[in-house]
Amino acid sequence: MLFNTIDFATFLPVVFILYWFVVNRNLRWQNFLLVVASYFFYGWWDWRFLSLILFSTLVDYTVGLRLKNEERLPWRRFLLWTSIVVNLGFLGFFKYYNFFLDNFIRAFTFFGYEIHASSLQIILPVGISFYTFQTLSYTIDVYRRKLEPTRDFIEFAAFVSFFPQLVAGPIERATHLLPQFYEKRTFDYSKAVDGMRQILWGLFKKIVIADQCAHYVNLIFSDYQDYSGSTLLLGVLFFTFQIYGDFSGYSDIAIGTARLFGFSLMRNFAFPYFSRDIAEFWRRWHISLSTWFRDYLYIPLGGSRGSIWKKIRNTFAIFIVSGFWHGANWTFIVWGALNAIYFLPLMLMKNNRKNLDVIAEGRFFPSIRELISMLVTFGLTVFAWIFFRAESLGHAFGYIARLFSSSLISIPFFSGRGEAFYVLLLSMTMLLIEWMGRDCQFALERLGLTWKTAYRYAMYYIIVLSIFWFGGSEQQFIYFQF
Amino acid sequence: MKKFIVKIILFILPIIVIAMGLELTLRLIPNIYKHKNDYLNEHGGEIETLVMGSSHTFFGVNPQYFHNNTFNLGHPAQTLDVDYLLLKKYEDRLHNLKTIVVPISVFTLYGKLGAGVEGWRMNNYALYYDIRTSNKLSQCFEILARKMQFNIEIIVQYYFMGERDLACSDLGWGTSYRPEDSKDLLETGNDAAKRHTDYDIHSRQYEDIYRENIEALDNIVQWSNEHGVYVVLLTMPAYKTYRNSSNLDPEILTITIDTSRSFAEKNDNCSYLNLFDSDRFIAEDYYDADHLNYIGAEKLSRLLDAYIRNQYRLDTE
Repeated sequence: MLFNTIDFATFLPVVFILYWFVVNRNLRWQNFLLVVASYFFYGWWDWRFLSLILFSTLVDYTVGLRLKNEERLPWRRFLLWTSIVVNLGFLGFFKYYNFFLDNFIRAFTFFGYEIHASSLQIILPVGISFYTFQTLSYTIDVYRRKLEPTRDFIEFAAFVSFFPQLVAGPIERATHLLPQFYEKRTFDYSKAVDGMRQILWGLFKKIVIADQCAHYVNLIFSDYQDYSGSTLLLGVLFFTFQIYGDFSGYSDIAIGTARLFGFSLMRNFAFPYFSRDIAEFWRRWHISLSTWFRDYLYIPLGGSRGSIWKKIRNTFAIFIVSGFWHGANWTFIVWGALNAIYFLPLMLMKNNRKNLDVIAEGRFFPSIRELISMLVTFGLTVFAWIFFRAESLGHAFGYIARLFSSSLISIPFFSGRGEAFYVLLLSMTMLLIEWMGRDCQFALERLGLTWKTAYRYAMYYIIVLSIFWFGGSEQQFIYFQF
Repeated sequence: MKKFIVKIILFILPIIVIAMGLELTLRLIPNIYKHKNDYLNEHGGEIETLVMGSSHTFFGVNPQYFHNNTFNLGHPAQTLDVDYLLLKKYEDRLHNLKTIVVPISVFTLYGKLGAGVEGWRMNNYALYYDIRTSNKLSQCFEILARKMQFNIEIIVQYYFMGERDLACSDLGWGTSYRPEDSKDLLETGNDAAKRHTDYDIHSRQYEDIYRENIEALDNIVQWSNEHGVYVVLLTMPAYKTYRNSSNLDPEILTITIDTSRSFAEKNDNCSYLNLFDSDRFIAEDYYDADHLNYIGAEKLSRLLDAYIRNQYRLDTE
């Protein structure tokens, strides 16, 4: 089920009412309801893949319990690897099988060997990369004795399948989310109102910004040979807004929805396009994934300690794996490697933790220095997005070659250029609102709170109106495919 | 909690009221889907030739020029899977049916309405033909079929500007492609050729769609065979700017023609009429490079009628 559909708009109030009015006296029943609702939410897309979630849940629940009583290290390791192999095995099969097969065949063909193997018609289960990582965090933390395993299967199943963040994150850490299923939840009016505001802002970013930009992105990227460099620049700028509106919009709706049920999910985006360097960008973009890789891959590899070569290896490892997580395509690997190249000088010069505060804190305008560093970081990010959006490396390099041709200095020209101008204007408006709320958890958190009620409601209705005006065709979220 | 729920209800109530008003307003506007459903329910038993398919036949085949009772059940962007669903939907009413015309255009074997950019049209099939192809609730609402700005445009045009032409004849033929409104044939030829064939037919996605379309076509032919109905597979004429466009993928064209021919050879109740590069159609017959206008539609309809009578020796008097 997609958040931006009438199906979800019907599903959410029904679950909300059952949760707070029917099963509100019993925590176990509340958790059970969340499991049923989450399985329904997922099964709405394709019920067959519920078996995968259930199997992963059963394996990790059992592994967790066995780890609690097991003191022998070899057995503990065996249990941990069972969980890792099962979870990553599913992920590898559904997401990467054809990629590896195709590349093996190509490699052997290159050396003159003919291999005959046919790829499989595999449907990628929605959200598999997200819930796999979430459930892995549980077994790893139990193995490290950072977390007591739960004995209650319903609680654990609710943690794995919690519908607001099941299919596109934030990827929650078991240490943060699981304990929330043990505690009695009470309805908090201000949190619920905040949740609604966050949902509203998320829908705005998805429907008004991302989906509108998507039209021009698809148009320009699919026929890039026909357009001038300036048009291609506009195309990748549109994609920059699309990917942000789409994914941060999803995260906002997920976090807001969880709040309605008394849960607090981790923040996933912290205004990344206002970053002053790439290290700051990665602290602000898809936070739940980058911290997952930091905690479960980068630090176990040695992190930024050790020799210079080890630091370089670890940096490339985390960025390339992160890129590959997004999809079985060389474009994502190059995108990850490119970000590693951006990041490396900062780390080697120990400048990667320089910008930890909010940009232009206490001021409206940034300083010239801040502005320049922000624009440079934004430019580097925009360039990297070309690889992320391209369908193949050839497509990406072709796009770049045409982008940096002499036609870069020309007036962009493509069908629907006039309407595209308004979409660009809307994207700028979104950035302005985000800039105004950059010291908050989400842009709309404090905006309008001091205004007169009528003005505040007028703002909400304008947002709702724009959502309806631009809505109508339900576009899938980009991160569903990951 | 109570305060929260009251505030939410008060906030969304105006939105729901306006949405319901718009839905009702849109539903009251006559449309082609509603008209065709009504016609089939009332006159389904009289129909002898049924024309299926996309805009090519919707605008290109005028039942008025047929000797027997013919009805055009085509709609813009309608694909083979929907053709079959429509046939199944009205099978109990079509007891006098003798021939079905199924257009096989260059895009037919690789197109699927529900999966393409025209997917919003599935709402019309759900609302007016009661054909549901997904569990999405949005298929139950007119306002959710397309962007709100288009809904408003439709309402303004109908209620405030008095544009009440259904753009469809009683017998289901699309009437809006007038010769005087014809478009640039060179430009539309290149654009349409690109739009129709610019994809990788060897990708998994398109291989799946091809397989599903072959299955749907086979279902139509088998259903017809069981009901003693003839099937005419028809490749519509296209102007040379479309046929000779460098944007047209020759492989897709070859597959389209070979597949149609193969169906006709394998099934006794099936024949194939390929008018793709027929020289009987000249520039004045076209609305754009791949659609016929009034004049072209009359020419094609008379030709198709003669073909059906000759091919199947149908008693039409």
